[in-house]
Amino acid sequence: MRRDFMIIGGGVVGLAVAYGLARRGRSVCVLDEHDGSLRASRGNAGLIWVQGKGADMSRYAQLSLATSRAWPAFAQELTERTGVALEYERRGGVDLCMSAADAEVLRADYRALYDTPWAREAGVRWEYLDRQALSEHLPGLGPDVHGGTWTPHDGHCNPLYLLRALTAASLALGVEILPSHPVRRVAGGETFGSQQGFHAETPRGRIAAERVVVAAGLGANRLAPMLGLAGQVHPVRGQVLISERLAPSGRLPTPQIRQTASGGYLIGDVLEHVGLDTRVTLETLHALARRAVAIYPDLARARLVRSWSALRVMTPDGSPIYAASRSHPGAYNLSCHSGITLAAFHAGELAEAIDDDALTQRYPEFCTRRFHADST
Amino acid sequence: MLIRHDKARAVDEVTIVLDGVSQRVPAGLSVAAAVLMLAGPAGYRRHVAGGPRAPLCMMGVCHDCLITIDGAPNRQGCLEPVREGMTIARQGGQP
Amino acid sequence: MSEPGSVFTEVAIIGAGAAGMAAALRLVEAGIRPLVLDQAPAPGGQIYRQVATPALGGEILGPDYLAGQPLVGRFADAAEQGRIDYRARHRVWWAEADAELGGVTLGVLDGGGSSRIWQAQRLLVASGAMERGWPFPGWQLPGVMQAGAAQILLKQGALFTGSAPVLAGSGPLLYLLAWQYLRAGRAPRLILDTAAGLGLGEMLRRPRQSFRARGYLSKGLAMMVALRRAGVPVLRGLEALRAEGDERLERVAYRRGGRWESLEADWLLTHMGVVPEPQLNRGLGIEHGWSDDQQAFVARRGPRLETLPGVWLAGDAGGIGGAVNAEREGRLAALGLLEARLEGSFEAQLEGSSTPASFAAERQALERARAKDLDARRLLDALFRPPAGWLRAQSESTLVCRCESVTRGQLEQAIEQGAFGPNQLKAFTRCGMGPCQGRLCGDSVARLLAARTQAGQNADPREVRDIEPGAERMDAVGYYHIRPPLCAITLGELAAAADPGANVKTSSSPQ
Repeated sequence: MRRDFMIIGGGVVGLAVAYGLARRGRSVCVLDEHDGSLRASRGNAGLIWVQGKGADMSRYAQLSLATSRAWPAFAQELTERTGVALEYERRGGVDLCMSAADAEVLRADYRALYDTPWAREAGVRWEYLDRQALSEHLPGLGPDVHGGTWTPHDGHCNPLYLLRALTAASLALGVEILPSHPVRRVAGGETFGSQQGFHAETPRGRIAAERVVVAAGLGANRLAPMLGLAGQVHPVRGQVLISERLAPSGRLPTPQIRQTASGGYLIGDVLEHVGLDTRVTLETLHALARRAVAIYPDLARARLVRSWSALRVMTPDGSPIYAASRSHPGAYNLSCHSGITLAAFHAGELAEAIDDDALTQRYPEFCTRRFHADST
Repeated sequence: MLIRHDKARAVDEVTIVLDGVSQRVPAGLSVAAAVLMLAGPAGYRRHVAGGPRAPLCMMGVCHDCLITIDGAPNRQGCLEPVREGMTIARQGGQP
Repeated sequence: MSEPGSVFTEVAIIGAGAAGMAAALRLVEAGIRPLVLDQAPAPGGQIYRQVATPALGGEILGPDYLAGQPLVGRFADAAEQGRIDYRARHRVWWAEADAELGGVTLGVLDGGGSSRIWQAQRLLVASGAMERGWPFPGWQLPGVMQAGAAQILLKQGALFTGSAPVLAGSGPLLYLLAWQYLRAGRAPRLILDTAAGLGLGEMLRRPRQSFRARGYLSKGLAMMVALRRAGVPVLRGLEALRAEGDERLERVAYRRGGRWESLEADWLLTHMGVVPEPQLNRGLGIEHGWSDDQQAFVARRGPRLETLPGVWLAGDAGGIGGAVNAEREGRLAALGLLEARLEGSFEAQLEGSSTPASFAAERQALERARAKDLDARRLLDALFRPPAGWLRAQSESTLVCRCESVTRGQLEQAIEQGAFGPNQLKAFTRCGMGPCQGRLCGDSVARLLAARTQAGQNADPREVRDIEPGAERMDAVGYYHIRPPLCAITLGELAAAADPGANVKTSSSPQ
């Protein structure tokens, strides 16, 4: 069977690109792993976040702003196609600082990032607000909070409903989604008429397509090199606590804590370098609870309902990798840690660039040459 | 309402305050049992989605016995024994 | 494994029901002082709840209940003498087994809301059973309760429903409850049984099991005769059930032979068998498999009731066998633990007459009795099997997940939209995300998914619902990934237990 694309990875990155390609009339197949596989898509905070991103790469900062501005139309379109409401909201966000020293570091970073011509031109707005000034946005802050950086660009959604909507919308467009198809090997060599193509070996058989997109999260390290691409990601564990559902507070989202549309508070923002260990730990649960109660003392009586941990897909500099293979034309690798924020971009302009085979031309900053001058 | 059998072993009673009203109940009951006895299942609790709820399992599984005890909301009423002077408020809300 | 501020114990037992108490007493005989954590205010578990000070006599509650008095008495005495470190109203919210070294870390919340960390070298899980989640439209209405809940009310305070209840479902507990109500002079209004007949055919097909189950069967028969004599109507072949009402149950509707009938009622008490309490087993990471006999996921145990290194599992938490069997399994697990202790250390000196040789005789007798009893259980499993495709026969609007109000129709739609496993389905619908953490919906969700995959992606949804998936399918689908907290704990309680030096390693470039 002839297919234009196969996407390796059924998370939000793979599905956003699959959806974008299918919307452009391409035939697409998504190879996914198992229900219990490592899935950053099911283990993230759901922030659609602009502030602080791209400190080392202004193009990434610009991309974050652009995708956040594309999100309203993207969310509306997905809901119209699937009936799944994404609980999307863009009322701004705050990154909290618990001490004056933290605040100073953050302010210096933001000045370097945003006191720049491109940021002024793009209309970036941010402010450092002390605890008093923040209480308009975050009523009920505890005395241990120093302040935080506010921007109107940030937002949040229910990332699980994004995953569902992308799955449903892709299926409705004829995308084949194949769960329990872990890819053991992927290689070129299949022939479609005059054109070379690719095939993937899975325990349930061989899948072939004219072009291949690796969107396999941490699986990129194993799969990308099979296609002459560099796999350069490492896991960074996060842990999250979820409270019981409480009355809506109107508090803006922060990376440290946010109230979801269903009322539960999602408490997280932990970075742990522990390899592929996805356990939650007592020490971190305790520390997260302590900080949550310090931020909003009224949460002390809220019951913890769930906890989870998941692995971030981190590139060496934190910015996305969008790479096209030189040795295997038609093979691409996408590695990034902000798959929710970037979903609107991935489904739109990135899918378009892949479809046009113009990834390197349009997004040269994001290929892996920035890490190794001599690689692809 | 629940009815205590007339052959029930005699036990001490404790005074609790349920929704502002002082009442005597047998010691040894859980909060959920005491509330079902005094007030029946209607008005026990309201689910976040709006529907009425009352205890299903009485053994810590279902979480439909959540109730405010001494000012702390959403306690599992089936696991807390009644105590002298305990204040209990149902979370029945408006229909 | 050493958490700052944690307390060490050699053996921890979770649950002071029949299995936990028996295990603790056997360990005491060998000179060990086990820590016993239990959520109830008094020992006994669900079956022997409050039996030391029974609210009613044996003429109403029945002889099997009072049979627990000696065990509870011995346990309470040993605890009184300080030979058991018994902690009532203590709940385990965190349990982590060390896969390499053995041993466990437990986060334990006491009745006053203080959390403390315990390190145990060896753990016995004896956390018992819970009633199977049995969805039908309206099961969330006030006035609908599980039969086990009604029994707890009897044992706790001789409390009966104010008006005569309707009973529905299947299983020995349903008839025991009906009998207890009858004996108390408060006969139930009506019993609706999903079983089509008495199961005589099943008994004839299983002569050995029927013989071994003769004790259970004669008790059951006596209860049924008593109910019949008293004129309590028993309607068999229940196909669908509906609890109706606005703010509480007002009417029970039921379908038999394709025909709906209804009656006004204040109380509907339901029962569809019991299943192992999953949270602790799953949270520890014990492997599970679907049991076609028990129609439940059951933890995999070795011949000595061992699971993970240093973790034993006894009683109904490891598979439904009833209170008498649980007591046996408690002793067996204690023996396993003592044997491991001997093997692990030459220095370990056991008190009394317990030597490995006497273990062997003791073990053999217990194992023989257990094998017979569990064989008899298989007949009961067959007689009281949950009806195939029950959920299919109920309306689409039936809540499967009570906590998050997710209906069967919504789950089927999400499955059509690509949810291929229980965790993906949970993500797509919130099913299982609420405070009960999937205890009441987990099996229903696995059944829905297994039927779907068995039928194939393009099958007619109506056909799919007719399938009753077997163990292979159920195991392939699996279950929710269970994480702590294993019971409710507030953020304040958790924060207060934090080491003051612990800080969050925070993200500098958040997602």
